[in-house]
Amino acid sequence: MKSSSLRRNVLLLSLPLVLAAVLLVIVGSGGIVTAGHEDMPPHGIVCTENASPDGKSAIFSLSTMTGTISLPDGNRVYMWGFSAGGDPFQHPSPTLCVTEGMTVTIVVNNTLDHDVSLIFPGQEDVLANGVPSTPVVDAGTGELISLAPVATANGGSMTYSFVASQPGTYLYESGTEPGIQVNMGLFGALVVRPLAGPNFAYNEVVVSGTVTYTTEFMPDEEFLLIFSEIDPMLHMAVEQGLPYDMNNYTSRYWNINGRSFPDTIAPNGAEWLPDQPYGSLIHINPFNDDPAAGDAYHPHPALIRYLSVGTENYPHHPHGNHGRIIARDGNVLIDGAGQDLSYERFTITLGPGQTTDEMFAWTDVEGWHPTENPIPVTIPQLQNLTFGTFYSGSPYLGATDLLPVGHQALNACGEYYHISHNHALQQITAWGVVLSGHITFTRIDPPLPNDCP
Amino acid sequence: MRKENLTRELSRRQLLKLGAGLVGVTAAGAVVPKALLKPDRVVEASPAAQDPIIGVYRHFAATDGWIYLPGANPPYHPDNLAPPGLTTYIFGFRDVTSIEGNRDLIFSQKMKCQLTSPMFWLDEWRNENPLDPHDNTTDFTLKLTNLGLQIRPDLIDAHTLHFHGFRNAIPIFDGEPHSSVGVPIARDLTYFYRARDPGTYMFHCHFEETEHVHMGMVGGVYIRPKQNFLGGASAPIARLGGSLDAAAPMGYVYNDGDGSTAYDREFALVMNEVWSLAHWCDSHVQLPEWSDYNPDLYLMNGRAYPDTIAPNGGGTDSATGDLIPPAGRPELKYQPLSSLITCNSGDRVLIRFINLGYVEQSMRLTGIKMRVVGRDATFLRGRGGNDLSFLTDSVHIGAGQSVDAIFVAPDVTEKTVLKLFSRNLAHLSNPGMPGLGGPMTEVHIYPAGTLGDQAAANDWGGA
Ligand SMILES: [Cu+2]
Ligand SMILES: [Cu+2]
Repeated sequence: MKSSSLRRNVLLLSLPLVLAAVLLVIVGSGGIVTAGHEDMPPHGIVCTENASPDGKSAIFSLSTMTGTISLPDGNRVYMWGFSAGGDPFQHPSPTLCVTEGMTVTIVVNNTLDHDVSLIFPGQEDVLANGVPSTPVVDAGTGELISLAPVATANGGSMTYSFVASQPGTYLYESGTEPGIQVNMGLFGALVVRPLAGPNFAYNEVVVSGTVTYTTEFMPDEEFLLIFSEIDPMLHMAVEQGLPYDMNNYTSRYWNINGRSFPDTIAPNGAEWLPDQPYGSLIHINPFNDDPAAGDAYHPHPALIRYLSVGTENYPHHPHGNHGRIIARDGNVLIDGAGQDLSYERFTITLGPGQTTDEMFAWTDVEGWHPTENPIPVTIPQLQNLTFGTFYSGSPYLGATDLLPVGHQALNACGEYYHISHNHALQQITAWGVVLSGHITFTRIDPPLPNDCP
Repeated sequence: MRKENLTRELSRRQLLKLGAGLVGVTAAGAVVPKALLKPDRVVEASPAAQDPIIGVYRHFAATDGWIYLPGANPPYHPDNLAPPGLTTYIFGFRDVTSIEGNRDLIFSQKMKCQLTSPMFWLDEWRNENPLDPHDNTTDFTLKLTNLGLQIRPDLIDAHTLHFHGFRNAIPIFDGEPHSSVGVPIARDLTYFYRARDPGTYMFHCHFEETEHVHMGMVGGVYIRPKQNFLGGASAPIARLGGSLDAAAPMGYVYNDGDGSTAYDREFALVMNEVWSLAHWCDSHVQLPEWSDYNPDLYLMNGRAYPDTIAPNGGGTDSATGDLIPPAGRPELKYQPLSSLITCNSGDRVLIRFINLGYVEQSMRLTGIKMRVVGRDATFLRGRGGNDLSFLTDSVHIGAGQSVDAIFVAPDVTEKTVLKLFSRNLAHLSNPGMPGLGGPMTEVHIYPAGTLGDQAAANDWGGA
């Protein structure tokens, strides 16, 4: 491990600089986007959609690709992925968005020298080339070859189709050599939107007395985070065509949307991450359901769709507030009698292959204000504290204040930041780099109108 | 000015790297070497004016220390640098409220932290003065002082206190140093909490968190509901809320309205684990590779069985400011919290499970079922008022999660002993030792009327 520890020395020193570069962009307005990603919003879910004009079906052509991704310790890791249409390699594979009731067709074109396939956990009656998709067993040996019919190596294709009958958040992932191929990157998200509308997670409502709870979220506050992990030795073995023994599997990197912190908070399509287009910053405004609040009226929470393709449970802890878990694996948490089964948590356990939908809001409960309602304690002078990169210098939302000379102040407009991270803290590292891995941030802007970029 | 700035940007790991090799120095280039050439400025800048004490006040100090854990896993455990009788290097907190005002005595507690950290609790905010919408009477302030690390003077780490799970937190009081501020050595910061949401929470330092949390800067904190004071439709005012009625419950876990979370005794069990290699690395100026995480000691309130059932510590010695060890157990001086659960027949016993390790636990109680009434400081009730609580004998609890479980002690005619332990049997031993160890404790049930009231959580009630 001598060489890798030397490598880490160099990178640890440069991490603050990387962070600075990332942050200069997250606080900027649109960020910088790469060719092909011009239409991405800077933050939030990025959907790949291809519905028919009548809205009854959607078709996606997914080609396997190879590429590399960049990690915060400076390593580049060889990956596989699916790309839609003629897009170049990307990681993770594209987020496919459809609407409830659509017939979804996915054509896999395989360029790899391994057979690949797709499974769609949570979808029923999936067809492969028009017949039910079932596990493939070698006729001679009886050995299980694949969990679904394959697109054969070096040019084969396979067409999967199903009716997206239930709204929700789902995975699609390889069903062939899945321990290896999913770690290699053959996974992505499938979002099925309800007929209730694009700003709803589900159709169902909970009625309690005179109050009706829906799953409506703020239109610009929909986020999707896929949690994954990487054993670089597995990737090296695949790249070099060597055998790999899954008994030796050891994760070294933990990624959200294919990036490890601080890259996670860079915008969608950041130019220095050309093959890792999806950011994970949760960018929201304070919840406020008072119709008299004017521009600050912000009556719905954000929706965060969590997915895990890892091998362990990840206990994910968003600072700042509890989230309300409204669905698991695409199943809304309401029982047959209309009773509410949703719940609030400060730590969300993401099991392997699970998805969880969370409504998240932050409310300015105390309404601290520098003159009208000051915090009741004195913040020490600058010399007597250490200051974080995201801090505005002021405890007050929307205010900024003095920071030490030379401080890397990356706060734009007095917005608040809260970390959101895996609480198995050995997994917020990246093979020797600490404060990396499964970390993203929540950015809470001052209520509108504001001066935020 | 510049000095504090460098403190922030030059993390201890970078410093270590700079000390460790040429590569670091070269790569650092113009960014950091200046810091190395300047000694730390030790004179404190003019302190802020002292705040008036607001509401309920506690003062914590953060430092390093040594504890005793059983077993052996050479060469890491016991640590060869440990003082006689102790085994394991830790970071942690101490409650120095009782020696408030004597700063020298507080600073003499350097290298005397405890595992787990002192528990604290808050009452839910109640407006005691209707004319003042921000009445401070039931607010809570906590001052944190960083005493520095005795064994690692090379480390200039700040510390913070993160109140894990506090709803609608603002960054300045959240203790996550990138979003707000950290407390450098010899400095203080006062955190303010207006507690609006009852339940079981936890706290930990969030500076270099993978290391500082694992090194032991972990503790339990809970918010008691205002129903204790105000009562509810079918919930009488609790004894903690001033009721003198012996038939009233000691307290409630949540504002349930119907008494369904009433309890007579409460015990907090803070779970974490020790990877002795990582602790040894810290005392020997080394760094572990965290993706190799492989703990060898799993703990309950900072002790491994059978020490878990040893008595509680004796509090703070007002002359020295130091801790008084549990009776007959000098080596557990800095592990003052017992996990033994004692109760009378018929008592409703609340267990607040808190997991600040990095590994999930499944906690099994043999012989009686527990009712889980809360998770993550959330009452298990749907928005339509439907009951989501459930009975179980195995409480599953992930890293960074909490569970409130209540059992009713069965009728016994003589003292009866039950076991409560981690069902992950691979955790249930002490390294290199035969027999059971690790995260196991006992429930001692006495005939009705035997034990007196608890003075505080985890108190044995005179057993
Ligand atoms: Cu945290
Ligand atoms: Cu935490």
